[in-house]
Amino acid sequence: MAGGHVNDPNGPRIRIRHLDENTIDFVLSNTHLSVANSLRRTMIAEVPTMAIDLVEFHDNTSMLVDEFLAHRLGMVPLTSHTVDEFKLTRDCTCTDYCKECSVEFNLHVKCTEEGTRTVYSSELISTNKDVVPVTEEGDGGKGIILLKLRKGQEINIHCIAKKGVAKEHAKWSPCAAVGFEYDPHNNLRHLDYWFEKSVKNEWPLSKNAEEEIENDPDAPFDFKAEPTTFYFNVETVGSLKPQNLVYMATRVLQEKLGGLQLALDEDQNPESNANMDDAEPWV
Amino acid sequence: MDVDQEKPSYIALLEVPEDKIEIVPGASADLTSMTFSIKEEDHTLGNALRWCIMQNPQVDFCGYSIPHPSEAKTHIRIQTTESTNAIDTMNKGLDDLKAACHMVRSKFHQRLTEGKYTRSEQ
Repeated sequence: MAGGHVNDPNGPRIRIRHLDENTIDFVLSNTHLSVANSLRRTMIAEVPTMAIDLVEFHDNTSMLVDEFLAHRLGMVPLTSHTVDEFKLTRDCTCTDYCKECSVEFNLHVKCTEEGTRTVYSSELISTNKDVVPVTEEGDGGKGIILLKLRKGQEINIHCIAKKGVAKEHAKWSPCAAVGFEYDPHNNLRHLDYWFEKSVKNEWPLSKNAEEEIENDPDAPFDFKAEPTTFYFNVETVGSLKPQNLVYMATRVLQEKLGGLQLALDEDQNPESNANMDDAEPWV
Repeated sequence: MDVDQEKPSYIALLEVPEDKIEIVPGASADLTSMTFSIKEEDHTLGNALRWCIMQNPQVDFCGYSIPHPSEAKTHIRIQTTESTNAIDTMNKGLDDLKAACHMVRSKFHQRLTEGKYTRSEQ
């Protein structure tokens, strides 16, 4: 089938409406809800990034307990544009961690003056110039506040960041939020709005409603109609650029499908398998 | 990062566990009805793949389920007409969905390079 799409030779269509540092707004159309949903789910949970996974505490006399800080450090977004160069720890040949599957960070701060010493994520010293805590202009390049120290308090830690996916822990998610909408006029009646007096007044339409027309409320309901246009608004945490996130999501999906075909081939050709005693074990 | 537009030919080099996909016992002898059990997959793959397989006119039935929420497994049931078999149909479904993903990717790339979108400076 030309173009690859099963229904339509023209295949899925995309229109990018808006792009900036952390968000992308695009419209995916001429495809099925399940495909759009796969893309959404992949972006949220299956695109790999780097995040702190192990923390060694050499010294912590701050107000916060070790496990609280360790959890907090895990959540710090790290720039992950080089994530493809890393291996997952479970695929790596090393026993614990090495530079092929991890990046190390050090933080050693002692408050010696009166008042409060605020420690920011940008103070984490990375061993890899491509994997560093995310900073923005808005935060003055300092990043996120990790903790605050009073006079005499000290923190000395060693962190190990690893590659992972948000399926395992949400700290690896490159997305802060994914807005996903279809059928803004609720023509398909997939939604049953709760209301007091008037649906129209109590449920204002989103801006996506301008792109579609509302069905005549008196027209007979088309129960075979299916959604075809999907409005995405992807907001990243800063670890990946939004456009690269979409690329990576499609690639992750393709790899998933390709990998499955390889595994299926092995099933079909039992010669290549280790167990040759039962050639057709499924019958 | 480079916007990678290369064809995913490297997929042949992927390391897939041997038991990634298995055929559940009880398939018909002519291989037209089969249930596949896929490890470490969920609705992300299941629903889209089910739809893609159903687009094939030779498929009589296709459905997916996740038999137990705490087992990372997805079952896909395929029943086909006698002119084909479930394995070929599965392969075709995977091919079609892969092509759809590739299409989304290349259309996205095309639109991104065209640059017809707004950008806000902050």
